[in-house]
Amino acid sequence: MQHRTLKTAFAALVAASALVLAACTPATDGTTPGTTADASGAPGTGGTAIGFITVGPKDDYGYNQAVIEASVIVGEAFPDMQILTAENIPEDDSAVATMEQMIDRGAKIIFATSYGHLDAAQKVAAAHPDVVVVQQGNAIAGEPGANIGTYFGTVYEPMYLAGIAAGAATETNVLGYVYAFPIPQTIANINAFIRGAQSVNPEATVVTVSTSSWCDPAAQREAANSLLSQGADVLTQHQDCTKTVIDAAEAAGVYTVGYHADASELAPAGWLTGAVWDWGPLYVDIVENITVGDFTGGPFNANYRVGYKTGTNPFVLAGYGPSVSAETIALIAEQQAWLGSDEGSPFLGPVLAQDGSEAVADGVIPSYDELDGMNYFVAGVIGNLAN
Amino acid sequence: MTAHVDTDVDPQAPPAQATWQSKLARAGLRALPHVGRWAAAIAGALLIFSILVSFKGANPIDVFGDMWTSTFSRSRSIGEIFIRMAPLALAALAVVVPARAGMINVGGEGQVIVGAVAAAGVGLATDQVLPGGVVLLLMAIAAILAGALWAGIAALLRLVFNVNEAVTTLLLNFVSLDLLLFLIYQPWRESPTQQPATRQLATEAQLPTLAATGVHVGIVVAVIAAVVLALALGRTRWGFRLAVVGGNPEAARRAGMPVTVLLLSALLVGGALAGLAGMIEFAGVETKLRPGFGTQIGYVGFLASWLARHKPVPVLIAAFTLAALAVGADSLQLDSGLPAATINILTALLLMAVLGWTAFRKKAA
Repeated sequence: MQHRTLKTAFAALVAASALVLAACTPATDGTTPGTTADASGAPGTGGTAIGFITVGPKDDYGYNQAVIEASVIVGEAFPDMQILTAENIPEDDSAVATMEQMIDRGAKIIFATSYGHLDAAQKVAAAHPDVVVVQQGNAIAGEPGANIGTYFGTVYEPMYLAGIAAGAATETNVLGYVYAFPIPQTIANINAFIRGAQSVNPEATVVTVSTSSWCDPAAQREAANSLLSQGADVLTQHQDCTKTVIDAAEAAGVYTVGYHADASELAPAGWLTGAVWDWGPLYVDIVENITVGDFTGGPFNANYRVGYKTGTNPFVLAGYGPSVSAETIALIAEQQAWLGSDEGSPFLGPVLAQDGSEAVADGVIPSYDELDGMNYFVAGVIGNLAN
Repeated sequence: MTAHVDTDVDPQAPPAQATWQSKLARAGLRALPHVGRWAAAIAGALLIFSILVSFKGANPIDVFGDMWTSTFSRSRSIGEIFIRMAPLALAALAVVVPARAGMINVGGEGQVIVGAVAAAGVGLATDQVLPGGVVLLLMAIAAILAGALWAGIAALLRLVFNVNEAVTTLLLNFVSLDLLLFLIYQPWRESPTQQPATRQLATEAQLPTLAATGVHVGIVVAVIAAVVLALALGRTRWGFRLAVVGGNPEAARRAGMPVTVLLLSALLVGGALAGLAGMIEFAGVETKLRPGFGTQIGYVGFLASWLARHKPVPVLIAAFTLAALAVGADSLQLDSGLPAATINILTALLLMAVLGWTAFRKKAA
């Protein structure tokens, strides 16, 4: 009896597998069925909604909050458009599904705002030629398609200035940096920060700890404690949500340099300064450019970068804390003007890499493109890039 | 074809000559309170959720309506449900088998990850030289072995040192995550200028899709696995013995059953299933390893198994429900403007209601 059941089951299984195999077709290029190509208009035109996806929550005292706040400004500038926002969208394939949900609700313009959303953004752009996807912070290698681009500010410039404040403040000469992933954007931030600090304090070093997450408060707490135990007396970070590290620094009585958002209220005593996002004007420019049909071949159909040199860096310096001296503030203002000039850069050579080799030759200023590929720490950084 | 194993005698057993009509009627009457409880539990959860949603300024009727429309009347969403359901169902089955032997496998998450890691290792090493079908087969074998091996560590600790497998499987999840991160930060990292990730698996070596639906064959694998397990647990000597060990290991030992082998086999089969889930997610959806690979498939699968009372075929329904909720989550944000965490509240309410208010009949576990 038992054997017969098993035999029957086995036969059924074989039959089922055969049917399945017959029904199978090899996966093609990953395009999704139901592609809604509109031959009449330029990519991104004719939509009724604009979509924004963020990797973290809307109220993270940081990166994602800045995106959502700017999406409100876009809504005010384009009152006929519905603003669709989706938070906590992971940096994996499920972001594709969420963006397609937005497309099915009339969105022809989508802002994919986390670094790791690029794969999903490219997949959506390839499957929906009528939709424009702009990605925040990453860079597309090679020629971008007609309906995709990336944009960002030069985040390392204000971090260089904040480094000056940190270098002037430290007494232990040990700064602490909590970061997420060893990607060029972050590496450039850390390098600029220590070079800023060393410009006023050659003895300064920065210890780095990675959390492998844009927002993991438990890992952040651990990282902050580890940095404090190594003698760091200024903590800064490259995390999307910034509260945990700032709270830890304030509780330990050390200084803080903020990131993404003005969190000075969290650290009334230890706040030095920080860098904050002001995305509104750039987002409005991008949407304007897309809706009039000028996207393809235009400035945003590329890796669009703005900074102090273009005068429109969306990443601006936050206010100063009570301990920052007038002298330091004046020096930072002077350095900001220098960064905006043709001769200024946090990475004006000579720049020595961590191992002592020459990374940038004397008198050379690396281009924005080169800095988008930065994959080495400079002298003064303690920690390695392998996790 | 049910995996239900009734070990006690029903005092109300119908007389032998009872007609099928009367049998059916009796069965219906017996099921009535059970069905009623489920309905009450789900209704209660939805009611509490409605109240919470109202406080957020949304109309609960609209919220449910939009969620339903967005999830079930959109072909892309239906496909998405089946894509998400496949690894969830396999990860749930990875809990079902050890549960039959009285063990709790909390390590699905880690076993999914090592399965995906093994699949990626084999797949990325061979996809340029071997035909796609062969690569797929090799990846599946590697993932099954890796998942079983990972669960085997916990099994060994249980059998040799009598360490509780619920603890070891859970702790091994964190080790597997570190393993994944090490590999994608160092030896397997594609580009130093991108977020740590492997390169993409060649298109020919990705899971084929079912006709033009865009749904990969993972769902078929999951359904076959559930049916086979239902038969194996319900109709074979191995399945019967597992249930005896799960019910009373001492009795099983005295009856001369190889308890050690049975416990080991249950965890190994569980790990193998979770490993396969990792391979399916890797080769069918993600096609590269990223830091957040598999986001919680193992843990959600664990819930699905408990929701299904550790029975293989109901696991499919539980996995479908949880996958549909995950797909419906976008609607809560996009149509109703509710925070992302709202879906977690709805899922948690449903789970607590169903697990807490419907009777857990121990004999059937």
